[in-house]
Amino acid sequence: MDKRREDEEEGEEGMDEDSEDSELLRLMARHTQLNDLLYAHHIIGGYDAIETRQGQGLCLSLPTAYDGVFLETYNLEIDVKPTPRIVRHNIPPFIPLSDLVEQSDMQTDLRTFLDTLSQHLNAFSGRKQQLKLLKELHKSVEVMESNALCSILVMMVTVPKEKTDVLCTLDYSDHTRCLPTRVHFECNGKLLADSPDWDKIRSLLLETPVHKALSDMRTMGNIV
Amino acid sequence: MDDSARRLLQRLIRRIPAQMLKTTLEKWGRLTAAQKQSMDFTEPKWAFTERLLDICEDNGWTGKHITELEMTYVIENPNQGMWYAFQLMDPEDDARSVELTHFKEQFKSHLSELARPVSVKIKKHADDAIWIRIAWGDSFSRPNHLKPTYVVHHLQTPYVFVTSLTSKQKPFLSQALVLSTRHQAIKDASLSGRKLGAIRDLLMRQYQQVFPTSYPSPLAERNGTVSNPQIEKEQAKSAENRLQMACEAFGDGMLPQLQSSVYKLETKFKDHTNKTMTEREEPFRCVVKFASTNLLESLRHCASSGIASTPVTPLLSSIPLKGRNYFVIKDNGPGPSSQTRQTQN
Repeated sequence: MDKRREDEEEGEEGMDEDSEDSELLRLMARHTQLNDLLYAHHIIGGYDAIETRQGQGLCLSLPTAYDGVFLETYNLEIDVKPTPRIVRHNIPPFIPLSDLVEQSDMQTDLRTFLDTLSQHLNAFSGRKQQLKLLKELHKSVEVMESNALCSILVMMVTVPKEKTDVLCTLDYSDHTRCLPTRVHFECNGKLLADSPDWDKIRSLLLETPVHKALSDMRTMGNIV
Repeated sequence: MDDSARRLLQRLIRRIPAQMLKTTLEKWGRLTAAQKQSMDFTEPKWAFTERLLDICEDNGWTGKHITELEMTYVIENPNQGMWYAFQLMDPEDDARSVELTHFKEQFKSHLSELARPVSVKIKKHADDAIWIRIAWGDSFSRPNHLKPTYVVHHLQTPYVFVTSLTSKQKPFLSQALVLSTRHQAIKDASLSGRKLGAIRDLLMRQYQQVFPTSYPSPLAERNGTVSNPQIEKEQAKSAENRLQMACEAFGDGMLPQLQSSVYKLETKFKDHTNKTMTEREEPFRCVVKFASTNLLESLRHCASSGIASTPVTPLLSSIPLKGRNYFVIKDNGPGPSSQTRQTQN
């Protein structure tokens, strides 16, 4: 684990007054600089780590963000001895925390574990935010199904030309990503076969966040 | 409408408080505007029921529609009776991709096979909760709609909340849930309460938890509202520490409303002044129950005001930490549960 704090050192005895003072001042300046650096790291969304219980515990905070907006911050409290293990957290139960713990070695490579966990959390926050924006910005689109993990989204859109309703299903089976892995369309209970228009829409939905994709589809006149 | 449906409706209208009748019927959404206009919500319930029965007869509605109305009422007003939490264990590889339609089909089919005859109704609520209503029958009788079991589950989470389930029905429900959610087992989560939302929020961690942080604590900031600089709080620092520890143990802001916590002790009696009790071979069996209208709020206040010592004892902090309010304490461990501590999930 990185030790990010340096201890303040007092000047050694036997040095003369001036050099002691300037040494002390230099160290204090360095200490302030490091604190500022840590705070900057905190503001830009880096992991915060603080020692708790006299070095026996470590508390980490993992911020999440999407599209330049800070969202939820999640926390983990870890007991360091005898082997690192999580004693407390506020991570939702549909994030596979225990699987991630098993897959990584917290003792030697805590950073990898945190990075993977952060990926899952950020992706989840991102998908959740997209769903929220979709509901806010696109009142004409009806969300038929979603789930707590935001890994599936089924919505009903209306095609202006034929005035028909099309059911769009977005599968986000890669939980470390904010974009869907599969998109398919159903109209009147049948899967829509390949057609250049729907293929274009499919690529749009696969490559663009859903709320933005729907705005584009509206502008292009694909949906009402 | 047959007799049982009629009786069900009568029971249901009797059960729904008068002030909620209008909104419940509204949410049910089956009455036309004209029919709604014709209902007089001020008349006595028996008269109201008769009018509603007439409307049902006119529309050719059956027991199915009445159970739908009941479900609407229960979903909006779930805080009746006791809810018990269960936890699904050992997910299969495809547990994380179980989706709604699949779950519905599988649950209905498994339960029907296990507990024939049974009447199952599944409804997905706006907040991703799946509500299941089960009316159980047996080889001699049709499903009894007067004593249904209600089950709530969120897909991709391991928790299931159940009310009104008998011990005879439990194995069938457990098996159907395990199979349809692609897990290998289900166990009692040792958490119960009258408010569904509270036990759900506790397990899904939907309340404001507090973690140690090196940056200014929002708690300290919030409490810095001392307007008069002439007033100095003695021991302000220790009060702040107590508050911080209390909030770290229980959480900040509104806490999920639990009504009780039960500790079943099976420990040897320890009191050197009482030889008779200490010399006994068997453990001293005793049950300690804490009860309150808002237990977690009370415990947090005990800790922050100094009535309970801080750091908060694991016996109390385990309630939110482990998400349970029933503990069996034996001699082999200092912790509140005889299980070894594991990573939480």
